[in-house]
Amino acid sequence: MNAPHHRWLHEQLPQWERDGLVTAENATALRQRHTVDDSQPGVAQLVMGALGALLIGAGLIAVIGYNWDDFTRPVRLLFAFLPLLAAQIFSFRVLQKDDACAAWVRETAALLQALATGACIALVSQIYNLGGQWPDFLFAWFLLSLPLVWLMRSTSVAIFYLIAIAEWAVHQCDLGRPWYDSAMIYPVLLLGLFPFWPGWRLERPLSVTLRWVMTLSAWFGLAAAAYCSTQQHFGRQWGDGDTFFSLWAYTAAAMALFPLSASALEAPARHKPQIVLGFFYLLTFGITATFQDAGEEVIKSLRVAVTIPWAWVLLAVGGLFAAQAVRSSRWAVLAVASIAATPAVALLAGESARYVIPWLMTLHIFAIGITLIVLEFTGRRGAPRLGAALLCVLLIARMCESDLSLLAKGIAFIIIGVAFLAFNISMGRLRARIATSKS
Amino acid sequence: MKSLPLVLFALAALAQWAAPLSQILKHERVLAEGTLIRLKCGAPDPYDPLRGRYLAVRPEQTEGKIAAGAKLVAGQAVYVTFTTAADGLASIAEVHAEPPATGEFVRVSYQWESEGKANIEWLFDRFYLNEKLAPEADEWFAENIRDAKGIIAEVRVRDGLAVLADLSFDGKSFRDILKARVK
Repeated sequence: MNAPHHRWLHEQLPQWERDGLVTAENATALRQRHTVDDSQPGVAQLVMGALGALLIGAGLIAVIGYNWDDFTRPVRLLFAFLPLLAAQIFSFRVLQKDDACAAWVRETAALLQALATGACIALVSQIYNLGGQWPDFLFAWFLLSLPLVWLMRSTSVAIFYLIAIAEWAVHQCDLGRPWYDSAMIYPVLLLGLFPFWPGWRLERPLSVTLRWVMTLSAWFGLAAAAYCSTQQHFGRQWGDGDTFFSLWAYTAAAMALFPLSASALEAPARHKPQIVLGFFYLLTFGITATFQDAGEEVIKSLRVAVTIPWAWVLLAVGGLFAAQAVRSSRWAVLAVASIAATPAVALLAGESARYVIPWLMTLHIFAIGITLIVLEFTGRRGAPRLGAALLCVLLIARMCESDLSLLAKGIAFIIIGVAFLAFNISMGRLRARIATSKS
Repeated sequence: MKSLPLVLFALAALAQWAAPLSQILKHERVLAEGTLIRLKCGAPDPYDPLRGRYLAVRPEQTEGKIAAGAKLVAGQAVYVTFTTAADGLASIAEVHAEPPATGEFVRVSYQWESEGKANIEWLFDRFYLNEKLAPEADEWFAENIRDAKGIIAEVRVRDGLAVLADLSFDGKSFRDILKARVK
């Protein structure tokens, strides 16, 4: 349950008490269990505050863009620093008031200061006709804005930071850049948010929106880092697509295995975007590798990938996360993440590895599908519908690759479709039966 | 109220001032003490959504002889030295991997090598203009595009850093020419 659900519950409880649905003790227990934190801004308040700050910031940038040609340089520089100073004083006052200040005011102050910082840098570069590239400007901007995320507990500046570091990392995929000026430092930049989450003053879990933004930022930032590592390895600007896909499989596995707290494990899938996106890539990668033509490319890319240091960093992190996942009994996630390791097992077949991979991957995905279904029926955390969907996709893939007639393929597809629907209905009924027996 | 967040905030605020101030000091020093170099260039008129209208300054010369023994990698920062012709216009003498011990030089970005010459990218590439003057610049270019004199970039140079001080045409400040046309 999230904050709006808690609020709704608090609104209903008095009526439920009057109707005799719950006792006064029950209502008190429910209120204590599902507390409403009024210090947190409502969505509407937050959006309005952010919108106001954005409009002021955009106005500042537009005023700067006009280029006040008739004023002297010192006067124009004053234009750059005055809004920054005003925003800093506003933020300082908000920080001084601490809890006495409304949360939306804190958000607005932080975002305004971040925008004023960007406007100030932009105006200075305009006055001195500085060339520079967009990523250089962005780098200075998001680094100078980062402390506001920690100190002002600002979600909107955190979102800006996450988008900016991903954008910066994607732009830094250039051969000839030193590693510390390339996308390879994206993980360090992401760790910059550590005081905001999950470390310092962790009082509440991240909002679902922020989780999605963080995951998407990591998705693009780590992809850029993986691509950069292939550029460095091959010594060419266009990197290597095949190797990138292998590296990205390790990245997706590490993301899916990212350790979670006990309460996060119980949360619905949409609250865990790193698992959703990690599964999406790993299953696509796995299904693609089941095709006979893919074996050679997968093996070739794997042989190159294991010689790249970045792959070993990913494997080490993935290994640590996997150990934690075993301790937390996250069997379904471990089952899907193991897809990234299948090509390495095929290497044991030596020269025949490229022929072995499609069969091995087919067996692996088949086993995952069965595992995800069986886990649910044995009372553990599984994903029966995903398991059934995997088996269906696997069958469809094999049918597409086979030399059977169109008629035979058509009939097979109909049978698979009907079986899938029947499974879906029976799962729905099973869930309902379990819910009824529990109540 | 705890004092640590306020102290950290003060440090962050100082950093937000220090970053642009360091740029200002560095570029003011070049403008005040740097040597003037004049480079012939072309200049179309694009738009920067964050910083307003500017003229894309592209010095005509984008390649120079690689200095003996210099080994260059694409994207690397390199240093160009200049010779000055009788008309006062500078041209690239040599491209060095390290800053030369004597003479004026400018840091640029090395792109690729062709027939013993290094193709470079200048690190100053824009001259910001007032929103009113920018459309006038468009018209001016349309009228004078074939003029052999060309636009001259007046660049101040110090310790490898180049700051675009002004653009001129036929000895007059380009900005003044545009202002006169607007009146």
